[in-house]
Amino acid sequence: MESFDMAAFLQQQAKDVFSTMASMDVAAAPGPNGLFDRERITGVVGIGGEQVTGAVYLHLPLALAEQITRQMLGMEPGDPLEETAVNDVTGELTNMLAGGLKSTLCDRGLPCAVSTPTIIRGNAYDIEVMPDVQRTCLPLLAADQPILVEVHIKLN
Amino acid sequence: MPVKILSVDDSKTIRMLVAKAFRPYDATVLEAGNGEEGLAVAAREKPDLIILDVTMPVMDGVTMLTKLKENAELKHIPVVMLTAESGRDNVMHIARLGARDYLVKPFKEDQLIGKVSRIVSLQPRAGTPAPAS
Repeated sequence: MESFDMAAFLQQQAKDVFSTMASMDVAAAPGPNGLFDRERITGVVGIGGEQVTGAVYLHLPLALAEQITRQMLGMEPGDPLEETAVNDVTGELTNMLAGGLKSTLCDRGLPCAVSTPTIIRGNAYDIEVMPDVQRTCLPLLAADQPILVEVHIKLN
Repeated sequence: MPVKILSVDDSKTIRMLVAKAFRPYDATVLEAGNGEEGLAVAAREKPDLIILDVTMPVMDGVTMLTKLKENAELKHIPVVMLTAESGRDNVMHIARLGARDYLVKPFKEDQLIGKVSRIVSLQPRAGTPAPAS
């Protein structure tokens, strides 16, 4: 894994996922830019194998997650939006990011599986890093709103 | 007679996207939220094609595909796997189990239609404009 540029990989993955599924361009950002001061939603997908464990987190402002949900499902701005639809879309986007990473890990000799997604909502939670875990954070911008892709990986 | 397509995915979003993709065509899209439900719907409805997710709770797509291929009445139904995992081992595993084709998420509607129309004949729905090719 030494020669693997996780941040570059995640940026390409995020570009592919957001442009294909939500017709939305994403660009690198210098930092999370106020994301943690807003109402937000986080998708989490776990990664587990004998030699590698970890998780992929996709942090979105709730307003952006709602915008993406409307875009993906072909809804009009005034259409009622269910919380479960926003959760499902956020989970599915996280699943796509995690699936790409899982494939890369498997191709590099680290067989693993991914979990089904979990959703966290709120404005006052932190993701903490356990010992011996490599953490990669990739701040991005989409539709002028901050996104953070975060990956925790532990090689056993 | 509309083509009968079964979409098996735990994500309602993906099932909605699949249903939306086939709206311009003379097709009926059935839905199931996991492999167990998918097998039950397949046995009851005998779809012309199944679009099957890999990672799902209760019963995953690989297990459902394996059980489908063991069932004399259902094994002929072509399956297109919809997976977020494009790795070599995953693709080879899916092929060995008997999936007709696979599509990696994220995907565009026209990619899905392209894969499916190579297996079943899709006709424009009566009264709708011809779908863009």
